[in-house]
Amino acid sequence: MPRRRSGRLWRVVGPPVLGAVGLAYAFPLYWLLVTALKGEGELYQATPSLYPLQPTLAAFSSVLVTRGFLGLLRNSIVVCGATVLLVLAIGFAVTYPITRLKVSRRLRVGVLNWALSLRFLPPVAVVVPYFAIVRGLGLYDRRLALVLIYTVLNLPFSIWMLKGFLAEIPLEIEEAAFVDGASRWVAFRRVLLPLAAPGILASGVIIFAFAWSEFLFALILTASPRAQTFPVGVQGLVTQFEIIWNDMAAAGAIALAVPLGLMVVARRYVLAGLTFGVIRGQ
Amino acid sequence: MLLPVLGTVFVVVTYPLLLAVGQSLRATRGGSFVGLRNYASALEDPLLYDALGATGVYAGIVLPAEILAGLGLALLVHRTVRSARVRLAVYILATLPIVIPPVAVGVIARLIYAPGYGVLNHLLRLAGLVQAEIPWLSRRDTAMLAVSSVDVWQWTPFVYLVFFAGLQTVPPESIDAAQVDGASGWTLFSRIELPYLRPLLLMVLFFRIADVLRVFDHIFILTGGGPGSTTQLLSIYLYRVAFKFFDTGEAAALAVMVMLAMSLLYAAVTRLLPLERD
Repeated sequence: MPRRRSGRLWRVVGPPVLGAVGLAYAFPLYWLLVTALKGEGELYQATPSLYPLQPTLAAFSSVLVTRGFLGLLRNSIVVCGATVLLVLAIGFAVTYPITRLKVSRRLRVGVLNWALSLRFLPPVAVVVPYFAIVRGLGLYDRRLALVLIYTVLNLPFSIWMLKGFLAEIPLEIEEAAFVDGASRWVAFRRVLLPLAAPGILASGVIIFAFAWSEFLFALILTASPRAQTFPVGVQGLVTQFEIIWNDMAAAGAIALAVPLGLMVVARRYVLAGLTFGVIRGQ
Repeated sequence: MLLPVLGTVFVVVTYPLLLAVGQSLRATRGGSFVGLRNYASALEDPLLYDALGATGVYAGIVLPAEILAGLGLALLVHRTVRSARVRLAVYILATLPIVIPPVAVGVIARLIYAPGYGVLNHLLRLAGLVQAEIPWLSRRDTAMLAVSSVDVWQWTPFVYLVFFAGLQTVPPESIDAAQVDGASGWTLFSRIELPYLRPLLLMVLFFRIADVLRVFDHIFILTGGGPGSTTQLLSIYLYRVAFKFFDTGEAAALAVMVMLAMSLLYAAVTRLLPLERD
């Protein structure tokens, strides 16, 4: 059997390599968690312990309560939630017609190409004009500014994701509803929306995760806890003169836990979204 | 319904780009029209070339590392893991690093590389490999390696996922036929599998090149662009020109030049990528 012969090297190399890769991913996350669970006294040992000697949640309460990061957490949730709703609403308004109505191929391709082109625009290139616009509108240090900008940033790949999900639902299903006397709106709400629900949910989760991660605009456009998001708070702990390791780790762990938890819901679709549909979800 | 929405979105997205062009043609102080003077001063600044160089070095490290490691791991799992359940588990695990906020990844990297508490030095000393502490983040060579390693850590799984998905599209009959003909190892890969992966390779390359210009968060957290300007990539440099030197005109000129460069990349993408638009 030629297949077995050619596979032997892979089979010998495989397990140790996969094990090493697994360790390279597991250990940094473990170290983050361990540091977050350490008490203040353990931070300044000559050789840091590889596990918490006396595990404590003190760092989490110090970050969330004493440093007031609960407020930043609320800002993040409000901003990301509003962004998800706005992106999905606009995304639908753009993708419903190009997948469901008779529009010219040129318009459809034009819209999709335009959305794709925005993927190649580095955010830092629009930082200067956005800053001027936000100041001009009086939205500096307001959560609304972040919602609007995150909507623009997340729209391109959302359009491609939603288009992918809608295109998979056969037109005939809606047409059957029209034959039964349903209006376009009723067919949309009663037939299309339920069928598209898993895809919409996944898109929403991914938009939330990306908005949650955003740092550059949040850094530039906010100045106080009334609008600062969680990543900005995390950054504040890092660049201090003296880093309080366990507090920084606890804040990092919270910043990381939210999107990881959400990904459990959206894992099937994340690849399709990131590659603009070149790769289909599993 | 389509046109008003689309029109509004288009204006909202495009207006800032036009504004950037406008800002790039005006003086930072006073706002009088200065023609291309901002572009000239942007191009005269030696720090720009440092930033371009740093961006090139960074890309030269992370792109080959991520593509080779991602491809190697995809082949490894494809060849050795048969169980559907294990494959799904690997798939799920590999999607996770993609959504970790780069700020959090920066924090983790700090916990590993930082002087004092950083665990890497302690592990190396434990293994007897080094005696003295290595200041990873304040030496020029190791600082670049440290920020690159963060990128490789976060994005290799994405490259892996793309290539692994690509390998699933290779028809098993082609593989079997080639094996009957005696092909194995490298021939099998380069003649049968690689042609299926080529469009994906292009896609990964395009997207990751675009991403190198987006890199900001983890470098900002880890080194802030230092030591000196060693890890000051283009995005960090642009940020500093705009918000540390407060030179809006020059920053806008840089931004416009970046946009032009990226539209060239985009032109290549639309020509070479198999995107479904229907």
